[in-house]
Amino acid sequence: MEDPTDAAMIAASLADPASFAPIFDRHAATVLRFLIRRVGPDAADGLVGETFRIAFERRASYDLDRPCARPWLYGIATNVLARHRRAEGRRLAALSRLAGRARVDTPAAETAEARADALDLWPRVAATIAGLPPGERDALLLYAWEDLGYDDIAHALGIPVGTVRSRLNRARTRLRAVREPVAPGGEQPSTPTEDRGRIGP
Amino acid sequence: MTDDLDPLRRVRPDRLQPDDPPDPAVLAEERERLMSAIDQNVNPDTGRRFPSIYPRIAYRNEVAAIEFLTRVFGFREWRESRMENETGTLAWLEVGDGVVMIGRAGPEHHDLSSPADIAGANTCMVNVYVDDVDAHHARAVGEGARIVMDLEDMFWGDRRYEALDLEGHRWHFGERLSHVRERRGRDEA
Repeated sequence: MEDPTDAAMIAASLADPASFAPIFDRHAATVLRFLIRRVGPDAADGLVGETFRIAFERRASYDLDRPCARPWLYGIATNVLARHRRAEGRRLAALSRLAGRARVDTPAAETAEARADALDLWPRVAATIAGLPPGERDALLLYAWEDLGYDDIAHALGIPVGTVRSRLNRARTRLRAVREPVAPGGEQPSTPTEDRGRIGP
Repeated sequence: MTDDLDPLRRVRPDRLQPDDPPDPAVLAEERERLMSAIDQNVNPDTGRRFPSIYPRIAYRNEVAAIEFLTRVFGFREWRESRMENETGTLAWLEVGDGVVMIGRAGPEHHDLSSPADIAGANTCMVNVYVDDVDAHHARAVGEGARIVMDLEDMFWGDRRYEALDLEGHRWHFGERLSHVRERRGRDEA
């Protein structure tokens, strides 16, 4: 017999709250890994519980046509993160430093170009993420780091699919600017260094 | 998948340098907290049951009120409980072992009024015991609360003051005098 879907368990939990437990068991590790990627392990530990408590409180509004609750949980976790932009800023700043160091571990088989790429590009990509408007960053990281599709991102963030597409396009454009060489005498197109690690206005 | 987001995929933090994998103990503990909250109607942050009496207080601008009450009076919001709707925000603010609900005033919100709607009249006062009423008073004054009764030792055994919030709700903050003496003794020791 197949396990009941998330939707079935959430529906059952309206009358029998303990039926919500499998939702935690199935998805908590994924949600925790997502939170760790965004704010680091220390801050993430508490936020995973907060995410599932909110999910439980809001279970009556869950769209039962969606068998898998994961995008919904990603959306709640993203909202929780919005209150922790500062922790995310610190995380991204640490990520930039990590990226700078990571070149040391680049396997010898990789080309010198790849190593130079790692040296230059990674901290700048991290800094660019830090400089993105929160809505673009949320959509972008759900897509690139969490492998969610457009439809799932739209559902998670509660926005139309067209908005997901336009946010991703804008974010891609900014990321492309990071990779393009600086024109002679031109301004560096990426996020200015003083913005590195700083989030939002 | 290969596209122009590859650089971003390569800086995914756990690819850059794996963090410790999620700690199973963390998940087990969070699961227990969640299930206990679900089963027993307790506040997962404090492990305490929700109090039997919890007033709901109405404001024309409930979001400003939440900010005021947390900043000026030091109430702590249960952030995970906040409900935001187009028709108003609901919040739960904790102080000690008590809780107040903060919501919007109006006929569609249980027909509750803010003093600001009724010429500053009040129909109740919320009494709150705090740990250190002198420090509480200093903070409230510093943050701009309107003090309407000064800090004073009262015959019934409390040291207390009263203040109005943004929209004129009246709050009474007190500490048992025995506790005040004990606290001051400790400070001098």
